[in-house]
Amino acid sequence: MDAFAGLAMGFANALTPINLGWALLGCFLGTAIGVLPGIGPALTIALLLPVTFKVEATGAFILFCGVFYGAMYGGSTTSILLNTPGESGSIITALEGAKMARNGRAGPALVTAAVGSFVAGTVGTLGISFIGPVVVELALKLGPAEYFSLMLLCFVTVSAVLGGSALRGLTSLAFGLMLGLVGIDLQTGQPRLTFGVPELLDGVNVVLVAVALFAVGETMHLAWRHLEGNQEVREVGRLWMTASDWRRSLGPWLRGSLLGFPFGVLPAGGTEMPTMLSYYAERKMVRPEHRHEFGTTGAIEGVAGPEAANNAAAAGILVPMLTLGLPTSATAAIMLSAFQSYGIPPGPMLFTQQPVLVWTLIASLYIANVMLVVLNLPLVGLWARILKIPTPQLYAGILVFATIGTYGISNSVTDLVLLYGIGIVAMFMRRFDFPTAPVVIGMILGPMAEQALRQALTISQGDWTTFLTRPISTAILALALLALVGPRLWGAFRRREAA
Amino acid sequence: MNQPSPARLQAGTPRADLAVGLVVVALGLLVLYAAWAIPDSPLYAQVGAKAVPTLVGVILVALGIGLSASAARGGWSGGLEEAMAAPPTNWRALGLLGAGLLVQLALIDWLGFVIAATIQYVLVCAAFGSKRPGRDLAIGVAVTLGAYIAFSKLLGVNIGAGVLEGIL
Amino acid sequence: MSRHLIRRRHMLAGAAALPFLGASARAQGTQRYAALSMFIPAAPGGGWDGLGRAIEQVARPAGLVGSIQFENVGGAGGAVGLPRFVAQRRGRPEALMVAGAVMVGATLTNKSPVTIKDVLPVARLTDESSAIVVPANSPIQDLKGFMDALKAGPGAVAVGGGSAGGIDHILLGLLIKSVGRNAREASYVAFAGGGPAQAAILGGQVKAGISGYSEFAEQIKSGRMRALATSGEKRIDPAVPTLKESGIDIVVGNWRGLFAPPGVSAEARANHARFAAELHALPAWKELLETRGWEDAFMEGTAFEEFLRRDSDATLAVLKDIGLA
Repeated sequence: MDAFAGLAMGFANALTPINLGWALLGCFLGTAIGVLPGIGPALTIALLLPVTFKVEATGAFILFCGVFYGAMYGGSTTSILLNTPGESGSIITALEGAKMARNGRAGPALVTAAVGSFVAGTVGTLGISFIGPVVVELALKLGPAEYFSLMLLCFVTVSAVLGGSALRGLTSLAFGLMLGLVGIDLQTGQPRLTFGVPELLDGVNVVLVAVALFAVGETMHLAWRHLEGNQEVREVGRLWMTASDWRRSLGPWLRGSLLGFPFGVLPAGGTEMPTMLSYYAERKMVRPEHRHEFGTTGAIEGVAGPEAANNAAAAGILVPMLTLGLPTSATAAIMLSAFQSYGIPPGPMLFTQQPVLVWTLIASLYIANVMLVVLNLPLVGLWARILKIPTPQLYAGILVFATIGTYGISNSVTDLVLLYGIGIVAMFMRRFDFPTAPVVIGMILGPMAEQALRQALTISQGDWTTFLTRPISTAILALALLALVGPRLWGAFRRREAA
Repeated sequence: MNQPSPARLQAGTPRADLAVGLVVVALGLLVLYAAWAIPDSPLYAQVGAKAVPTLVGVILVALGIGLSASAARGGWSGGLEEAMAAPPTNWRALGLLGAGLLVQLALIDWLGFVIAATIQYVLVCAAFGSKRPGRDLAIGVAVTLGAYIAFSKLLGVNIGAGVLEGIL
Repeated sequence: MSRHLIRRRHMLAGAAALPFLGASARAQGTQRYAALSMFIPAAPGGGWDGLGRAIEQVARPAGLVGSIQFENVGGAGGAVGLPRFVAQRRGRPEALMVAGAVMVGATLTNKSPVTIKDVLPVARLTDESSAIVVPANSPIQDLKGFMDALKAGPGAVAVGGGSAGGIDHILLGLLIKSVGRNAREASYVAFAGGGPAQAAILGGQVKAGISGYSEFAEQIKSGRMRALATSGEKRIDPAVPTLKESGIDIVVGNWRGLFAPPGVSAEARANHARFAAELHALPAWKELLETRGWEDAFMEGTAFEEFLRRDSDATLAVLKDIGLA
């Protein structure tokens, strides 16, 4: 069956009132849990698994897809408004998004995130429908050596967030690398840096750290420097995007989408790496007149790009699941177990054996995507009003909110100690002008890079040249080198031209 | 981790900056110690479980020394606009906020999420200068109860009712 | 837990059991627990969680239990949850835990102070054979080819699987030992989760893969992977031999079962044993095992204790050889 016939059949199925109802419920639920730090789509779908006993397969998967896409939309909302990322793909969005919100541009930030998510969701879903099987075969050609090179490429992006001092920026990065080491080492099973605390065996959750660094640290720093009787009034500003905002967002949306999708398809890719690369690219490519907005008042490109990359990657994650039955993310793993509880074997033959289900699922992704943008745009005004909450109630709310998300799932006081402890560290980091974003980047990339390095070396029996003798790996390394020295060379060249 | 006390931070910036540098060195040494304590596995002799932690420890020590050296040359945080324009430490706010955090940690297992988080909410509101604890209490109860109900009823996640078990 | 929540669970469980009502006569058994608290040392959605919820699905409508309350404490192959179960449920007659083979290895490699020996075995319920596979285009055609390659040099045969010290790694260690080489020569590549591991095998990044048969089943059926052998007592796939019948005396599986906290009375233990036996005897249980594709591996009493001792000893021996314990 070709993709067009499949889609036609899928839409015919998905557009029944009952299935639209499931999609709507999923979108609503997904947005709600996406907003909460700590509780992600994987866990929500796991908790919803019992519905598979009551509901027929199509309805259940439409519900799950709605939750999955909805969580991606919801995650960015709190990133922007409260500097509290709801899931790991939204951490980078918080960098510029929260700054825009603080400077009275919450509305445009939310709109560009929502429209960007829609654009990326559409690009990603088109990718699933038409080029999924081809891309996934290419993705299988990448092994640990290529992944290690990719992560080196991503490490270049840290230069975009190092801030004023390389010394302090790198200290933050090293702190993140340290946090990433905590837990059981995958390759040897040995606990590292756990200091005998069993709760640390599974490592430190990166979303927890991001919330602690961004939201809890900021709350504490504000209390420290709080002036009695001084009520800060926040500007909500205009809600809709200006013509200039649209012009500035269009490029980042498309670039982010095209960057995100292939990363999502990669079996060890994920949503975080493309958001970092997109942020780096937009920061480098922004027009000179807007460059100063990055890291100060918040640049809309820095929200539009990463948010699109996040959503396109999320769509990409479904490709190996649907075409090969590979659970490449926690969400995909849970969805596969849902397939099994219906007695549907998920695997390379899913498309041929269950065409109705698969195409209905894909059609419902388009529908969920449209529903989400329609739901979210009118909500922008409502969301932005959160900023009108007086400072005491707002910050108390953020703290309670971060606590709910952290404690709600793990039921672990250890996690709360970490949340508050890292919050205190973040307060001092702000006082001494250490950037916090490199901590998160180090924490995400460090463990992935280490494991990929060691996997690659085990496969090559300790031969380090494996990174240079595999063509794709070499190409990526060359790209990393270019990204590292390219801008400087280009700058030198330009100065020479000018002189 | 050891943090320099805020009192010292206020005193003289180079000294405070030096303290930061030394804390980073100490952190690096801690990582090196922890790396050393990882049992040696005969597998993966090339890059084993210890290699990367050791590297990170060394980097932290080196950066800490760099920061200390920078502090010795006069420090960096004294020249920051934010630090110079900053008002003095608000001990009352910081104390109330800290109390809010400690209350949560101490009471959540015993009194349950709703009560602990409500107390935290009221304390943090007070830290930021709210003058109406009664209203904060009402909002706090509404917010935490709402969150509790959403978690336990919609998602079926038990976030600990504590002493309210059987009532909620 | 709140009363409302329990009521909600009643509804869920009742609805969940609907398809099985036809098969099982309802509420005929003696109620073994009024309110069973079931501890899952893993996150929702995994294998242990699945088994725990499956028990609810079958035992409640049959009237064996009044209600079941779940607590999930995930992490580190059960090493995070186990100490909590031992400390908080000690001596409680209506508390059970789902655990299995993964926990045996995980607590050893973590040097966890609390191990599976600190809880009381009730019954083994399910088992899952491991499979040894190669990519479809691999020059290795059969188990003999694989064993020959291992004999020639285990280091040259990169094998992908789950986390280090887990069942997959242990099986590879046993295979290498069986050809007279040292298990620490293994070239074992641990992947985080089944997806990346399967991708590495399909893409030919590693020479072979070891994991639960069910993870590979669809790839094998579609011809993208070739199964060389399975590790159970009996064949899973009629076309794939077991290790045992190929002359290699190794039987390994990812078994799962029920455990009670320490310090419970003899009566309570007897009650647990009766519950497990009655659950296993239910037609609905058989039907459920069938739908889920789980192997029935029921074993109880001293037989299970004996099995557990042997399993722990063998695991410890291999981990010592590899240098992880």
